Amino acid sequence: MSFTSVTYIVFLVALTVLYYVIPKRCQWMLLLAASYVFYCCGGVKTVVYLLFTTLTVYAAGLLLGRLNAQRRSLPDGADKARLQEAIKRRKKAVVAAACLLNFGMLYTLKYWDFTAQLLGRALNRSLPSLGLLMPLGVSFFVFQSIGYVIDVYRGKQEPQRNVAKFALFTSFFPQIIQGPISRYNQLAPQLYAERTLDYDKLRDGIQLILWGFFKKLLIAERAGVVANTVFDNAGQYPGSILAAGTLAYCIQLYCDFSGGIDITRGTAQMLGIEMTENFRRPLFARSLTDFWRRWHITLGGWMRDYVFYPLSLSKPFARLGRWSRGHIKGKAGKILATSLATFIVYLLIGIWHGSSLKYIFFGFYNGIIITVSLLMEARFVGWRSRLHMTDDSRGWNLVRIARTCVIVFIGRYITRAPRLLTGLGMLWRTVTDFQPSALVSGSLLGLGIGVMDYVIVICAVLVLVLVEYAQERGVHIRQWLAERPAGVQFIAALVPLLLLLFCTGGDYVPAQFIYAQF
Amino acid sequence: MEKLIQILTECCPGIDFANETALIDDGLIESLDIVTIVSELMDAFGVDITVDDLTPENFNSAESMWDMIQRLK
Repeated sequence: MSFTSVTYIVFLVALTVLYYVIPKRCQWMLLLAASYVFYCCGGVKTVVYLLFTTLTVYAAGLLLGRLNAQRRSLPDGADKARLQEAIKRRKKAVVAAACLLNFGMLYTLKYWDFTAQLLGRALNRSLPSLGLLMPLGVSFFVFQSIGYVIDVYRGKQEPQRNVAKFALFTSFFPQIIQGPISRYNQLAPQLYAERTLDYDKLRDGIQLILWGFFKKLLIAERAGVVANTVFDNAGQYPGSILAAGTLAYCIQLYCDFSGGIDITRGTAQMLGIEMTENFRRPLFARSLTDFWRRWHITLGGWMRDYVFYPLSLSKPFARLGRWSRGHIKGKAGKILATSLATFIVYLLIGIWHGSSLKYIFFGFYNGIIITVSLLMEARFVGWRSRLHMTDDSRGWNLVRIARTCVIVFIGRYITRAPRLLTGLGMLWRTVTDFQPSALVSGSLLGLGIGVMDYVIVICAVLVLVLVEYAQERGVHIRQWLAERPAGVQFIAALVPLLLLLFCTGGDYVPAQFIYAQF
Repeated sequence: MEKLIQILTECCPGIDFANETALIDDGLIESLDIVTIVSELMDAFGVDITVDDLTPENFNSAESMWDMIQRLK
């Protein structure tokens, strides 16, 4: 059931009405039933993987909770330290088992065929590929569940003892397709709370869903046609058209993913649930690090808390840090271990996106740029001060934003192209065979969409950039709108509705969300 | 405490560590800074800071970091 289908709107309206009508103590049960209905609409066979994760992680949580209680109740005495250590070892074994089972499942589903292909080539023999059906949102629900296990292990979270309630946390339907990757303490209490209808939240939710439709249906769908035409026939076009196709893909990806998240968060808001933000205007990022703090925020946060911190503070990294501080002069010595951990995290983020060499390359690309910029930071500061530029300088910040856009733009050649070498070849042709005249010779009109579509995309992107610029400057658009006269509010709601009604449909069939495949 | 402020200022110049009380909440220091600070503190004060200690409450101000160090000693 796609977020952009009429079926989904009917499903959501019916669910919302029912949610506020039924006895409050049954509300979470209704959400659980709705979540499984939603999931099964995407394929009944793959629900077994969701159940596997739910049950293994639920059991791990219970075991960890029991061990945490044992550890707390140890009596003072000579044996306390030894017993604490023994319990800690058992807790580690439980976490390791949960990770092994779930990441093992994820690996088998998502990466085994790719590994078999690579190994087969290396060993010069064919290894069997499994060709398993990819469950919807598998990376999202596995990561979210493992986050819960680690939180219980660390004693930051009490385990959930009701298996049905826990099942709701792993399967909550708005987020199952493409996140955000929520934390248990942030989401779960809201899912189980008893609620009465809050008109402000309902209105906010509907507005956010409309904004998501605006991004997905008006912009992403059209930009996607251009991107698909260019990338599917890359050999036919000069560099300038390849660049235009990649730009279209950048626009498509942002509007598709953030639009989908807006629909997710809007849906939850209608049910009185506030979900965490996953985007914070990445267009205005001033560095690649800043970009990753603004793009897919919950994946970055997950990696920071469950990979980067444990890795950076692990004994081998602490030893490496001590060694580098003693043997390498200056800042490089101080941050070598941290930089290595950062590099590993970005490599993992790349691999998270899929089983292909291009994603590994994408991870390297991000990791290398961020690591080098960390190591060179002092030098950059020196150059900047010689040019009399400060962090507050408007010109300097514009340069930084443009620089980040270019770095991200180059990365998209790699991730969108069907293969790594195709992406690199397209990039090479953009530099060596640009042919700017192709941009005005009418070639753009042969990319699958007409003049009117280009006008719609350009106008809609301008609106999007203006809204995000205002938000970047601290303006709360929805609050600002709520304070305007009723007529202005009516027009603000009517214009996007009319645009959605009259400018969508036609030859376009709304596609699946791009991040749903991850 | 003076030694702590000096270390913090060396790790993240330009932040008023003596008076700031929302270093994490206001985004003044981030994950990379925290790891750099932690490794400096472990060396300077001989304490073992683990990932469990990495909470905003422990790093929001120089004072809270000082309290954490005293606890871990």
